[in-house]
Amino acid sequence: MHPALWVSKTGLSAQDTNMSTISNNLANVNTTGFKRDRAVFQDLLYQINRQPGGMSAENSELPSGLQLGTGVRVVGTAKQFTQGNLQVTEQPLDMAVDGRGFFQVLMPDGSISYTRDGQFQLNSEGDIVNANGYPLEPNINVPENTTSITIGTDGTVSAVVDDQANPVELGDITLVDFVNPQGLQAIGNNLFRETAASGDPQEGEPGLDGLGQIEQGMTEASNVEVVEELVNMITTQRAYEMNSKVVSTTDQMLQFLNQNVG
Amino acid sequence: MDKAIYIGMSGAKQSMLGQQAHANNLANVNTTGFKRDFAQARSMPVFGEHYPTRAYAMTERPGTDLSSGALMETGRDLDVAISGDGWLAVQADTGEEVLTRSGSLSVDVNGILRTATGEPVLGNGGPVALPPYDKLQIGQDGTVSIVPAGGPPDQLVQLDRLKLVNPPADSLMKGTDGFMRSKPGEAAGPFAADGAVRLQSGFLESSNVNAVEEMIANMELARQYEMQVKVMRTAQSNSEATARLLQNLG
Repeated sequence: MHPALWVSKTGLSAQDTNMSTISNNLANVNTTGFKRDRAVFQDLLYQINRQPGGMSAENSELPSGLQLGTGVRVVGTAKQFTQGNLQVTEQPLDMAVDGRGFFQVLMPDGSISYTRDGQFQLNSEGDIVNANGYPLEPNINVPENTTSITIGTDGTVSAVVDDQANPVELGDITLVDFVNPQGLQAIGNNLFRETAASGDPQEGEPGLDGLGQIEQGMTEASNVEVVEELVNMITTQRAYEMNSKVVSTTDQMLQFLNQNVG
Repeated sequence: MDKAIYIGMSGAKQSMLGQQAHANNLANVNTTGFKRDFAQARSMPVFGEHYPTRAYAMTERPGTDLSSGALMETGRDLDVAISGDGWLAVQADTGEEVLTRSGSLSVDVNGILRTATGEPVLGNGGPVALPPYDKLQIGQDGTVSIVPAGGPPDQLVQLDRLKLVNPPADSLMKGTDGFMRSKPGEAAGPFAADGAVRLQSGFLESSNVNAVEEMIANMELARQYEMQVKVMRTAQSNSEATARLLQNLG
């Protein structure tokens, strides 16, 4: 079959993937702690039909060969861990990381996931849990009759219980960082898992060793730029249309051949 | 049967190859740092025993268009675009030093600076390794400086310098992996670093494919193809006429 058909097919499917990435970014424009993805395109291998420098006759060589590209593919999506805007919510258990670092969340299977989504709540036992009910790690238990909770920028959690004058220290929230956060595996629910590419988690006190500070009463908005996504959507759509135009042109060429020869 | 049908066939076939080249350019219209390929047709006279008889068409790639694409702002520290001429030197899977303009870089688990497709980016002395850092800055001349993890923000440490090269454009060709390298016959070995190449951090270079141009070329080739098919058709009807004449003789 005509090779241009296959080449423009790769173009169509790559633009298709790009569109899914863009629409996922846009769908998560209001997701707390969401980090946008960018599709990474790469040209596929080239096939050498005629080697440059090959001999065209005994005494003459081809000045330039013929190397034909075989299309394009999306090699991956790169998550962009730029800081999202901090939004004041005035909720005592809302926390945002200002800088690098992730909260740790204990999953039901005992493993640890990482998140930038700092909308925490209390469960019936007084544990600080995320929106799915998974407890924060290290676990912090808030006693009954607590009137106010204060979370310091270094992660120290203290509470005023029973209107006593001296607040009680409940524990410390730690953050973890990765050498290559782009290598984390996004598992949905605003959670990430460590992989071989991300490296081991390095736990530390917020505000030290390059980790960001914890800001109480704030959440981190998604870092999706709506204008940028819309512009990307337009260019993707046009690129898609042009590739489909090549498919139809190529198809007409083959149709013409079939009708006229044979 | 007249040889015209073969000439028509070769023309049609070469138009197809040319169309693949343009389709590939168009497919890569959104590929960062992509450089479009030229395609041209050339007449190849056939030398028989005594003298040239017919001229067949042959499609070839005379080269790659090295002009710059537009710079797109991304704001990401590890995105670099080369302004003007020049290339980033990276290490291909074969271990060979190859060139690219695709500057969407990332840091792997060992702190090695890599391209989006995983090839290590070369610095002054081999791949660039970064210790844990808070902030990274890539200067216009490729100097990589960081604020080390936990370090004070006023103490930037200069680490390495990306190897930016600018070999003569006519000594380069695109390899089968899409990276640029020396043409066969040119001096092999590592490229010499060029201090005059400038890059912009926080930008990416878009593909230099002109979509309109590629589509026009695509349509033009489609029409040429139809004309070649017409030649084949004419040759066929000529041969049918000859066959009829021969039948009548018998």
